[in-house]
Amino acid sequence: MTRFAAPVRLLLLLVCLALLTVVATGVGSSAMPLHRVSAALIGQGDKMEEVIVWTLRLPRVALATLAGMALALAGALLQRITRNPVAAPSILGITDGAALGVVTFLWVFSDAANALVVSIHWQPLAAALGAFAFSVLVATLAVLDPQGRSPLRIILYGIALAALAKAAVTLMMILGPVYRAGQALTWLTGSIGAAHWSDVGTVAAGLGASALVLLWLGPMIRQLVLDPDSAAVTGLPVGRMQLVFLALAVALTALAVSQVGAVGFVGLIAPHIARFLHGQFSAGYLAAAALVGGLLTLGADTLARTIAAPVELPAGALTALIGAPLFLWLLLKETRHHG
Amino acid sequence: MQKPILFLTLALAAAGIASLHLGLNVYGPATVLGALRGGEGTDEIIITGLRVPRTLVAICAGASLGLSGFLVQASTRNPLAEPGLLGINAGAAFSVVLGVTLSGSLSLAATGGLALAGGLATTAIVFAIVSAAGRTAGPGTTLLAGVTLAAMLGSLTQVLLLLDETALETLLFWLSGGFADRDLSVLALGLPTLGIGLAGGLIIAPSLDALRLDDDSAGALGVRVTGVRMGALALGALLAAGAVAMAGPVVFLGLVAPHLARRMVPRATSAGQLCVTLLTGAVIAVVADIAARLVVLPGEAPIGAVLALIGVPILIGLLRRKAEAAL
Repeated sequence: MTRFAAPVRLLLLLVCLALLTVVATGVGSSAMPLHRVSAALIGQGDKMEEVIVWTLRLPRVALATLAGMALALAGALLQRITRNPVAAPSILGITDGAALGVVTFLWVFSDAANALVVSIHWQPLAAALGAFAFSVLVATLAVLDPQGRSPLRIILYGIALAALAKAAVTLMMILGPVYRAGQALTWLTGSIGAAHWSDVGTVAAGLGASALVLLWLGPMIRQLVLDPDSAAVTGLPVGRMQLVFLALAVALTALAVSQVGAVGFVGLIAPHIARFLHGQFSAGYLAAAALVGGLLTLGADTLARTIAAPVELPAGALTALIGAPLFLWLLLKETRHHG
Repeated sequence: MQKPILFLTLALAAAGIASLHLGLNVYGPATVLGALRGGEGTDEIIITGLRVPRTLVAICAGASLGLSGFLVQASTRNPLAEPGLLGINAGAAFSVVLGVTLSGSLSLAATGGLALAGGLATTAIVFAIVSAAGRTAGPGTTLLAGVTLAAMLGSLTQVLLLLDETALETLLFWLSGGFADRDLSVLALGLPTLGIGLAGGLIIAPSLDALRLDDDSAGALGVRVTGVRMGALALGALLAAGAVAMAGPVVFLGLVAPHLARRMVPRATSAGQLCVTLLTGAVIAVVADIAARLVVLPGEAPIGAVLALIGVPILIGLLRRKAEAAL
C-alpha cells in the first residue's frame, strides 16, 4: 500500500471501515441485503428495518469501532513512549483495575439469590472507577519512586499492580457463587453485547478530545522514536511529553475498557499492522492505527455474533483470530519486498 | 555473589522442609521423618504421595521458569519479555485442549507429553516465521511473532472451550496451572529439560555478557549475535516447555524471577545471575505453593494468583530500593 500517498492510504482504510460498517449492520439474526441496509441508514427504508438498524445494530457497530480505535491509539502511544514493540494497554494495570472494579461491583451489589440489587448500567462506572484507582496507584508509586521515573519503571509498576489485581479477581471469582464468575468471565474476555447510543456518545466524546490533544501535540510523537538523548537534542521536553502521552493512553484505555470489557490484542497489534500498511513515520500514523483498531474490533464483534449463532461468543476471544493472521502475513510479505 | 547464592540455597532448603510439614493437616517433624523413612500410616502416605511430589515439581518448575525468563530477557534485551511471549504456554494449552476435545480424557503423563510437544511445536513455528522474515529481523520481531501466535492459539483454545463445555470442566484445573496432585513421573519430562537448559545457559553465558552491549559491539567482540540469540531463545523455550509439561501454564514467575535476581546481584556476570535466577524461581515457587494450600482452606488457590500476591510486593520493594541493572 506504500505506493499511494499518505492521505490516499488513510482514505482507503476509511473506505474499508465504511464498507465493513454497512456489512456488519446488515448481518445478524434477521439478515438484510446491502441495498436495504444502505436505504435504512439514510432514512429511506422500511420502518421496521430502520428500527432494527438504528436502535439495535448501529449502536453496537459504532461502539465496537470507537472502542477499538481508542485501544489502538493507546497501544500506539505506549509503544512510542516506551520504545518497546510489545507494550500494550493491558500491561498498564488499567484493564485489570477495571476488571477488579467490575468484579467488586458484582460482589457487593448481589443479594443472596444472586440477583443484582442495582441496575447493571452502573457496571461501566464501576469499571471506570477501578481503572482510575489503579492508574492513580501506578502514578503514585512512580512519582514517589526515589530512583526517578523512566517509562520502563512506570510500566513495571503497571505490570506488578496488574498481576495483583488479576490475582484478586481470580480469588474473588473462586470464592463467589458460580453466577458471578460466569458474568465476570464474559466481561473479562470483552464483549459488546448491549450497546446504547449514550455509551457510544461517551466513547466518541473522549476519543474526540484525545484527537484534539494529539492534533496539537502530533509532531512531538515522531520525535519520541529517537532515543531520549537525541530526542532532547531536537528540542523535545522528553520527560514531560512521555508523561502527557502516558496519561492520554491511560484515559483512552479506561474509556474503552469501561464500555466493552477487557478486549485484548487490538491495542498490541493494530499499531503494528498500521506500521506495515501506512508506515510509522508517515503523517497520520496514529489515525491509521486507530482505523485499523476500529476495523479489527468491528470485524471481531461481527464474527462473534454470527459465527456460532444463536450463541454469541465474546468479541475479545476473536480479535486475535482476525488480527494475528493478518499481522503475520504482512510481516512475511514486507520482508520479501525488502529482503 | 557467594552470599546471595548461599542465602537462597538455605531459603530453598527451609521452604522445601516447610512444604512437607504445612497444608490442610499440619504435621510435626517426627511424622515427616517417619514418612521419609518409609512409614505406612495415612499421614505418611499423604506426605510421601502428595507433599514430596508437589515440592519437587515446584522446585523443578520454578527453577525452569526463572531460568527460561532470564534467557529470554537477556537475549532479546527486553525487560518485558517472558517465556509466555514465545507462545509456549498458549501452544501447550491448545494442544492439551485439542487432545481432550478429540479423545475425551487424558492421563496426567499424556497431558504432560502433549503440552511439551505443543509448546515446542509453537516455538518452532515462531522461529520459522522469524527466519522467513530474514536476517534483518531483530529480537523485537521474534517477540512479536511469538505474542501474535500465542494470541491466535489462545483465542482458538477459548473458542474450543466455549463450544465443548465438558472439556472446560476437565481442564479448568490444569489450565490454571499448579503443582498439586502431580506425581513423580512428570519429573521425567521436566528434569532433563532443566539439565539441558542449565548446561546450555552456562555455556552461552559469556556471550550473553557481551550481548548486554549493543549488537554491533558484541559482534566486534567475536560473538555471533544471531546464533547466540536464537540459541538462548531455543533453550528458554525448552525450559518453559518442560515447566508447562509438569505444572501447566504458570504465569508471572518467568517474568518476575529474573527481575528479582538482577536486582539482587546487579554487578554479577550472566553466569552468576543465571544461578541466582534459578534459585530465586525455585524459592518463589515453593513458597507460593505452600501459600496456595493455606489461603483458601480447605480449598486450593490457583498458583498464578498466589504467585502474584507474593511476587508483586517483593518486586515493588526491589524496584524502589535498587537501581536498574543493565540487561
